[in-house]
Amino acid sequence: MLKPEITGNCIAVPSNYEFLPDVDMFIEGILRGYGADESIIADIAISVSELVNNAIAHGNSQDSSKKVIVEINRSGDNVSISVNDEGGGFNPNDLDDPLAEENLLKEVGRGIFIVKSLMDTVKIEPSPNGTKIIMTKSIK
Amino acid sequence: MKLTDRMQDDIVILEPKGKIMGGPDASLLNDKIQEFVEKDQKKVIIDLSQVEWMNSTGLGILISGYTRLRNHSGVLKLANVTDKIQSLLTITKLVTVFETFDSVDEAISSFDK
Repeated sequence: MLKPEITGNCIAVPSNYEFLPDVDMFIEGILRGYGADESIIADIAISVSELVNNAIAHGNSQDSSKKVIVEINRSGDNVSISVNDEGGGFNPNDLDDPLAEENLLKEVGRGIFIVKSLMDTVKIEPSPNGTKIIMTKSIK
Repeated sequence: MKLTDRMQDDIVILEPKGKIMGGPDASLLNDKIQEFVEKDQKKVIIDLSQVEWMNSTGLGILISGYTRLRNHSGVLKLANVTDKIQSLLTITKLVTVFETFDSVDEAISSFDK
């Protein structure tokens, strides 16, 4: 049976949208333990949900045998979160500008833009074996 | 996410509750809007007061509802937009697309103008 696997500050879920709430509950729980305020928790939770959605849909092509791995760490007032998939990688420069007039009413294509807006730093590391995105945000 | 709906005269009021993050839960809202479009309802308000947050999937559902209603000569309005969602509408420029109101009553009244 497919289910989330939690090891310390890391959660691995099969590439199925039904596990989005498990990742959210895990991340929000840890952030509350760090003492982050609710607005910052929401910004980070939104960003994680964006990256996990992308990893499931685009990275792992909804193949439940492939996992999405989310890891959270704290260093002082900064939280770092990485999201890994097992897909073929993508070129972040290929993303459309969601603010362009012709894209404004598109139903998709805003995820990475929103993550970059809500987080302090976002680093995308594509590779043939999967994409790793590392983002950070101050929780103070 | 949970979803309830009610009618006030000829206006549909949708009341999602929780987080709109994608997956089967989020399609509830999408499917409900489609249901009312197919019933030829022209006036729809989404009351966002109980939505903790949404991501781009949620925004995509709002856009989809907006365009489907508009294509059927209908109108979608948003009420009780929380600060977090307002912030997302602003940074994505969708604030220029949606009509937003501080309360459901104000959104209802706006249909008479």
